[in-house]
Amino acid sequence: MGHDRTLPARVLSIAIVDDDAGVRVSVSRLCRAFGLHAVPYASGGEFLAALDAGTAPADCLLIDAHMPTMTGFELISQLLARDVRIPTIVFTADATPAVPAAYVAAGISNYLRKPLPAADLMAAIESAVGGA
Amino acid sequence: MTVELSPLTAGHAHDRGRSLLTVLLILFVLSIAGNLIGSILRYPNIGSAVLFPPYAVLTAALAVSPRRHWIWLAGVSVLAHVVTFLFGWPLSWLLLANVANTARALAAALLLTWFLSGLPRLDGVKALLLFAVAAVVLAPAVGATIGAANVVLHRHVDSFWTPWMAWYVSSALTGLTMIPAMLVVFAYAGGRRRAGATGRRVAEAALLALALAATCGAAFLGNFDGPVSLPLYALFPVLIWAALRFGAAGASAALTVAVVVAIWGVDRGVGPFRAPVPEDNVYALQMFMLFTSAFVLCLAGVAAGRKAVVDLHGALLASVHDQVAVIDADGEVIETSDSWRRFAERSDVPAFDRVHVGDRYLALCQAVAGGRDGTAARIADSVRSVLGGERRRVELEYDHRHHDAVVGSYTISVEALARAEGGAVVTRADVTARRQAQHQIDEQRREVFHLARVAVLGQLSGAIAHELNQPLTAILSNAEAARMLLRQQGGEPGEIAEILRDIIAEDRRAAAVVERLHALLRRGERHLQDIHPKELVDDVLGLAHAELVSRRVDAVALVEPYLEPLCGDKVQLQQVLLNLILNGCEAMAASPSPRRLVVAVGADPAGGVRLTVRDHGAGIAPDLLERLFEPFVTTKPSGLGLGLSIARSIVAAHGGRLWAENNADAGATVHCFLPVVAGPTAPAIHSTSVAGAVEV
Repeated sequence: MGHDRTLPARVLSIAIVDDDAGVRVSVSRLCRAFGLHAVPYASGGEFLAALDAGTAPADCLLIDAHMPTMTGFELISQLLARDVRIPTIVFTADATPAVPAAYVAAGISNYLRKPLPAADLMAAIESAVGGA
Repeated sequence: MTVELSPLTAGHAHDRGRSLLTVLLILFVLSIAGNLIGSILRYPNIGSAVLFPPYAVLTAALAVSPRRHWIWLAGVSVLAHVVTFLFGWPLSWLLLANVANTARALAAALLLTWFLSGLPRLDGVKALLLFAVAAVVLAPAVGATIGAANVVLHRHVDSFWTPWMAWYVSSALTGLTMIPAMLVVFAYAGGRRRAGATGRRVAEAALLALALAATCGAAFLGNFDGPVSLPLYALFPVLIWAALRFGAAGASAALTVAVVVAIWGVDRGVGPFRAPVPEDNVYALQMFMLFTSAFVLCLAGVAAGRKAVVDLHGALLASVHDQVAVIDADGEVIETSDSWRRFAERSDVPAFDRVHVGDRYLALCQAVAGGRDGTAARIADSVRSVLGGERRRVELEYDHRHHDAVVGSYTISVEALARAEGGAVVTRADVTARRQAQHQIDEQRREVFHLARVAVLGQLSGAIAHELNQPLTAILSNAEAARMLLRQQGGEPGEIAEILRDIIAEDRRAAAVVERLHALLRRGERHLQDIHPKELVDDVLGLAHAELVSRRVDAVALVEPYLEPLCGDKVQLQQVLLNLILNGCEAMAASPSPRRLVVAVGADPAGGVRLTVRDHGAGIAPDLLERLFEPFVTTKPSGLGLGLSIARSIVAAHGGRLWAENNADAGATVHCFLPVVAGPTAPAIHSTSVAGAVEV
């Protein structure tokens, strides 16, 4: 693959926010297999709490768009409101191909559809982190 | 004679004019003849006729004609009288006699048409009695009063009552013997009846006429010198024949012949009435004919009444479409409808359906049932229980099969026969066509249900893709993680095993989604099974999960524990619940968060399960609460408005009820009551119980 070699020497920390346990666990596992440090969170609230507690040092955020109580977009808005700027990738299980306008307006360009192959995910992380 | 009434309004004015002329002509001829017959024999002193046929002729002509013709009829009758008697009688006598005659006939005709409402038909005992009261008892009194006054005025007779009695008895005799026959004559003449006599009837009538002529001759024209006038009795069988076979009209015609011959005999001094005093002979003749007529006409009335009943009975049995058999208390067939007989003659029906009059239906059914025929056993049981007085009515359904295929569906009802001797009426109806139609309706309804499901799932397609993409994502990520680990050879076997276990679990999860979808998309037969309410709610909420999430709806399931399982079609009930949940979501589309949707299932006091879907939306306009369940009524901007109407049909097909109420605080609640039916082996919910289910 080779993507890992292009990543910075420091082990990147990826926060994965998804209410679906299966997706959360498997994507975390995948990130770890690629040598990343992955921390799963079951909801936006959980991530924000960790952030407030200072236990969520994330280089990149991987957020599911559809979550009950707090959607991916709401989480992004919250982060913007707190002026927390972390490179963010939104992924969704929706079949809709277009990136919702709200995300575009919020400056989110990394909008991926599930299921996403490892190569695409790594490329997205790379570009997000690299572009930051 | 077979006689039919033609509608009174039939025929053109021209035809009516011609029929009036015919009636007048016949009236004139018969009146002249009657006047001449009347003159044959008169009371020696009083001068009034023993029999006065013009009374019967005019009365009958009036009774069958419209009132506006009466003036013409009366005029012609008077003319005939005047023409006959102009010479030899004083004008004043003639005048008053005509007043008496006309008044008598008018009274009789008025009473007859009033009593017998319209066209008089003497076809029963009651009609004959009313006829006798009108034309034999009352009307003659009118004529007798005027006529007796006429006699007193012109003959200087001392007593008023002697001529009164003579007039009265003569009129009564004339009315009784002759009017029934005359009514028929004028009914034909006026076109109010049409003849339909068969050759056999005409031959019988001719034979009767011959016998009548012979016996009348023997009875009234011979000189039999014995203690009892035996030839007189020879008349009776002939008169009875006329009464039984030709009704009141035939009897009246025969009696008219008899009385005329008798009068002729008395006039010539022959026959049985040969007493030395002429008044005695007249009196004896009149009494003999009066009582004979009364007896013969009574018999005719009874015979006509019986014939009417028998004809009606026969017509009924010939006309009923359903197959009817009457059985006696022992289960023997005593009468069948023509349709039953035709059915029993078919070779392709079971033995227990091939029964005719005289067969022992109950015994036959029992015998066939002995050969382990379930249907025969059920019929035998029904018949026995009704004949035994255990039940008044039993109804059962059965199919005729040929090579295991249903070739006909029937219902049989056995009902107790309401008579002292007991018995039962068995009615078999062919419901094959109705069944097939019902079957077709059921099939179409299933098709509509299916289309509605497809439509609902179409609404859910985005959410379903989402629901499938989740496990697919997990599987892909897991698999790629495992491959990476294996390539790096740094993975522990334990970790790989864990990944594989997760892959399997996620795969199953995806399969479950597909399975649920497939079940809903399938266009299967109705399949009844036990359904646990909790399972139903979990399944549907699982299916709608992604949709609920994307609509930001927080769905809560409150399912009471220990609920009885429902019996029904799982897919259809899922469809109903899914529909209600999506409607609830839709109702809250414009509401701010939190959008709470509560799906609750609990025991209903009415002995079933109450399922409610409660939203916190804007509620339903009161006038829409009930109309919402009608087809094509919707509150959504897009949507056909079929969902709730179909949901109600499905619930109704399960014997339940579906309705909506507004909540006290906010939003609306849709209630669904479903009865708990014992087990999937319970009788299938019959499609006919789906009241108004075919709404779509």
